[in-house]
Amino acid sequence: MPDNDIAIKLENVSKTFHVRDKTSSSLLGSLSDTLSGKDKRSIKAVKNVNLEIRKGEFFGIVGANGSGKSTLLHLMSGVYKPDKDGKATLNGSFIGLSLGLGFNAELTARENVYINASVLGLPVRRINKKFKKIIAFAELENFVNTKAKYFSRGMRARLAFAIAVHAEADIFLMDEFFGGVGDERFRGKSDKVFEEAIVKGRTIIHVSHNLSTIKRYAHRVMLMHQGECLKIGTVEEVFLHYQKTLKVDSLSVDR
Amino acid sequence: MIGGLTGKIISLLPENNQLERIWIIAKTDYKIKYYDTFLGMIWAMIMPLVRLLIYWLVFSNIFDKKIDNYGLYIYSGLLLWMFFQQGTKKGITALRSKRYLMMNIKVRKLDIFISSLLASFLAFLSNFVVYLLFCMFFDLPWSWNVLYMPIMILNVCILVFGVMLILSTLHIFMRDISQIWDMVLLAWFWINPIFFAKAIIFETFPFLLYVNPLAGIIINFRSTIMDGKPPDWYIVAYDYAYAFVLLGIGLMLINKFYHKAAEKL
Repeated sequence: MPDNDIAIKLENVSKTFHVRDKTSSSLLGSLSDTLSGKDKRSIKAVKNVNLEIRKGEFFGIVGANGSGKSTLLHLMSGVYKPDKDGKATLNGSFIGLSLGLGFNAELTARENVYINASVLGLPVRRINKKFKKIIAFAELENFVNTKAKYFSRGMRARLAFAIAVHAEADIFLMDEFFGGVGDERFRGKSDKVFEEAIVKGRTIIHVSHNLSTIKRYAHRVMLMHQGECLKIGTVEEVFLHYQKTLKVDSLSVDR
Repeated sequence: MIGGLTGKIISLLPENNQLERIWIIAKTDYKIKYYDTFLGMIWAMIMPLVRLLIYWLVFSNIFDKKIDNYGLYIYSGLLLWMFFQQGTKKGITALRSKRYLMMNIKVRKLDIFISSLLASFLAFLSNFVVYLLFCMFFDLPWSWNVLYMPIMILNVCILVFGVMLILSTLHIFMRDISQIWDMVLLAWFWINPIFFAKAIIFETFPFLLYVNPLAGIIINFRSTIMDGKPPDWYIVAYDYAYAFVLLGIGLMLINKFYHKAAEKL
């Protein structure tokens, strides 16, 4: 694959977290931890993952809770730095979509749109032009000047998604994003966006317990287990592998 | 009020996303801090005046009014000190307060700090306007040397920025740096030439002028407006060098440890 076709490239990427039990990241805390001889523990959340994701690919990641999916997303985006010897490359702008993050609760919908879109690289004049569309897509016309802390999960999700779509991020990193959004109409809308996005060459990484979206759109799926990449392949291949090696009940297949 | 201002400023500037971005973040920081209300801004301006009044009542009695225009004398020092105090205190949590952005979008790390500085600077500016109005009530020797004031203000900005970078790096690993810094500020406040004539502090503890970069800045700032004198350029050079050294250390630290912020905060 030529390099300029690649959206995300992971080479031998691992991630180890060093934690102290009952960790207290404070001066007094670390003093008392050291004095009481409490040991540091290493947790290897992601182990030696090699992966190339094409531009325009819809890439699904499945696996049980704690299998390292979210950590892997953060490694892809560069929010986390991989352990030594590993290398993560990301070509293009990205937006992470996960529930409960992305907004400052004290700011209004309008302010959050401007901050997010501006940090993503849009000039204010372009945001001004797109603002109505973003709000309309999120169906928040009556809540433009409401602080985000009063929004429901669904409203936040819609707003985040609307920003991601209209601010033209190249890569969507979606972490259980529709987990709490049961709104059928919005799902229909987001399905349409997925279809358009794929046509437009956007890259979507979709981490989910809910397999229906992945089954429908994913070009390839990756199965993670205890930080390792067990298999990458088509939806059928991976699910077959999945059923053979792991207990089915750790995933809720189709809701 | 601020919103209208933004529109105007932005329409004047060439389309520059980074400047816009810094301005948008700073503006909202400022709004959050002052409760987003006009009254909030008024309170922010009243607070320093109340502090001033209290200090003036206490110290003008202790010191027997040996200094002319003692109220303004205190205010000049207090103004710069409060900028430093607020700026660094806010700076400690700059990374943490922007975590919601850092986790989801690529943010240029310096943008976060520049916005934080700008938000504190906006607060300083409103106090500065009050200060200038306050000056009109005193009989001051007017001179063009007043125009040197921005040199000292810029020096405080650089100082705040450097200290902010150092503290927020420490904050990634030690959450109680906020408490420690509060105590440091408490002590630091009293080695500033805010209440004392500079002669006294020079004679008793000459080294303090060099240990505390704000001392020289305050003395210079005050002499431009209250005595109509140009700043002491030797002190200006020293304090700029001091600020740039701290800035250098801060930049080094944040470049080395910034990536830990997402994990640890």
